[in-house]
Amino acid sequence: MIDFIILMGTVVCFSAILALALNFQWGLGGMVNFGLAGFYALGAYSCALLMLKGGFNTFFATLGAMGIVALVCGLVALVTLRVTEEDYFAIVTLGVGEMLRLVALNEDWLTKGALGLTGIPRPLGELIPAPVYLYFMLALSLVLVAACVWVLGRLSRSPFGRVVRAVREDDVVAATLGKNVLWARVRIFAIGGALIGLAGSLHAFYFQYIDPTQFSTIVIAYAFMAVIAGGRGAHVGTVAGAAAVMLLLEGSRFAKELVPGLESDQLAAVRIIIIGIGLIMLLIYRPHGFMREYRLQVPLKDSLGQARSQPPKEAPT
Amino acid sequence: MKGFSRRRMLKTIGAAVAAPIGAPFLNLAHAQGSTIPIGVALPMTGNAGAYGPDMGEAAKRTVEMINKAGGILGGRKLELIIEDSESSASVAANLSQKFINVHRCQALVGYWGTPEGMSSRPIAIQNKVVLMVSSAANAITEGNTEGYVWRFQMKATDWGIVISRATEQSLGFKSVGVMGLQNAFVLPIMRVFEERMKALGRTVVESLVYNPEQPSYRAEVQRVFGKKPDAVFCFGLLPDFVSIMREVYRGGFDSKVVALSIAADSEGKFVNAVGADVAEGIRHFQPMPDVSAPGYKRFLKLMGAPADRVYLFPPNTHDQIAIAALAMEKAKSPMAVDWSKQIIPVGNGPGEAVDDVIGALEMVRSGRNVNFQGAGSTCDFTPNGDQIGRGMGQWIIKGGKSVFVEYAKP
Repeated sequence: MIDFIILMGTVVCFSAILALALNFQWGLGGMVNFGLAGFYALGAYSCALLMLKGGFNTFFATLGAMGIVALVCGLVALVTLRVTEEDYFAIVTLGVGEMLRLVALNEDWLTKGALGLTGIPRPLGELIPAPVYLYFMLALSLVLVAACVWVLGRLSRSPFGRVVRAVREDDVVAATLGKNVLWARVRIFAIGGALIGLAGSLHAFYFQYIDPTQFSTIVIAYAFMAVIAGGRGAHVGTVAGAAAVMLLLEGSRFAKELVPGLESDQLAAVRIIIIGIGLIMLLIYRPHGFMREYRLQVPLKDSLGQARSQPPKEAPT
Repeated sequence: MKGFSRRRMLKTIGAAVAAPIGAPFLNLAHAQGSTIPIGVALPMTGNAGAYGPDMGEAAKRTVEMINKAGGILGGRKLELIIEDSESSASVAANLSQKFINVHRCQALVGYWGTPEGMSSRPIAIQNKVVLMVSSAANAITEGNTEGYVWRFQMKATDWGIVISRATEQSLGFKSVGVMGLQNAFVLPIMRVFEERMKALGRTVVESLVYNPEQPSYRAEVQRVFGKKPDAVFCFGLLPDFVSIMREVYRGGFDSKVVALSIAADSEGKFVNAVGADVAEGIRHFQPMPDVSAPGYKRFLKLMGAPADRVYLFPPNTHDQIAIAALAMEKAKSPMAVDWSKQIIPVGNGPGEAVDDVIGALEMVRSGRNVNFQGAGSTCDFTPNGDQIGRGMGQWIIKGGKSVFVEYAKP
């Protein structure tokens, strides 16, 4: 059981990184990414192919995958936002994501098509014996999640983070204040893309086998669920949201052992109901998600009209 | 939301985390008892959702029968853990991890589709656990599986051999068009079929691979049927085949159509979706059990089904559990490291041919050699885990009903 929890913990980690990427692009930057599954596939395939065909080691393959997805995302943002209004951006990402998935499905010479890529190496896979590898994989994933949260936290409190939120709230105001909105958006989407590349690489390392069916549109739904459950714009909240979604999905499998007499095909239906109810409850009782976006809080003045002496309090992000 | 605090959030998340994680501990005793757990991953939802429930029923009845007769290894009962693979590779991989790490299964059975089998293959080999799949793609058993991966299905290239032979011998088409779904098990069928057709001097007027889940297949249909071949071979699944046949009917093309039964029959769903007129005259092929074999007749009795019922996949699930039980009994061990080596001895023989699991178990217990004859096939395997001896059926749709034509082996 402990091993299974550890393995699912690893799955939560790369789902969390994917959700963090979406949270940065959409939650903070206001750029809806409906092509997430395609970019995620691009990350996983890039990482796997850099290792299997390019001969890179896992570290450089991961960096390469992050670079490739960041570049593609940046280009999509650059091209799209120059020629269309931002409302069309979501539709374009959907199209690009689908294109990427179709390339993975059809370019047999490169991706082996529907059969998928097998035998994907893992970081330090040869050095660490198999029985303890899952612990290492979890530790590595946790460190990466923590690093992502830290980097994104720093980014969103930096001057650039203020530009990101300003662009989300009203791009005309941001432009009037002399900010380069297009360049900000390209960077937002590319930074998110790098994280998607990282999540994709971890996905490839974990499963050691990737095929196009793993990157269906349900991936997008889960990522949006994680961000909404966690609280749009809140990084730690998003990680918690990803964990909650995964626990709901995998944990509901154990419902069979709590409810005797439930058949497996009935359980399949019950699980979907449980997940639906979970989301509805969340939206009723926590409409803003688990946490709220980072906001600098200014001290309140007391009844005498004097500022309180405490320093400004920062809400957790 | 001024009252919101980190503590409160932690409480909320803590409760969410604790409930599902804690749940299995409540019921852990059964996993540590003397039962032998078998993990069964079946498609209950998703694009192959039609097949899971019957396969699950077959697994349950087989295990019930073995347990009623006293179990295996000196009275230990088999215990099934049936889960929904959602017809998805990543879900199947998570399930395999759950079977191995939570339930301590040494046998993973079911695994209908190729993605499910492919994603669980490395997990089974790494954990030294036997994986028994019902998927067809050749890649499942290629390379070094260390004796842990076993296919209970005809491999894809053999489908191509049987279909091309039937085309040559009884159907007599001079020119053919080929359409195939972009799918890991369809492409090898297409490749072999086309090679054979060309070798026999038949013309392949057009061959194309199409993507799943397209809103329309008009262009594809036009390209293949427009060349007016005698017949078009369409290798796909139910949803795409339904759209394709609607386009063919609308376009008024008169080439004959040949398909796979998982598309053109699918437990009657195809005719229900398109109507008897559109379906009229379509031929379809699918690996099937030898319905005249005593093992299959015995299986029908076990399922309580009428004598003319043709089950495509549930007999394989029955055979997977039967072979696992027999191999465990022969190896005198529930550990896959030991019993995986006994799969060929109990499946291929040498020994007396037996089609009754209980009888076979008794013979193994008394030290005699058996050659188990299953419900879905004769349960003979190549050393790398491919099943041999499973045949393919051919049907033709007449008046909205699939009429059986013939049964052939590769």
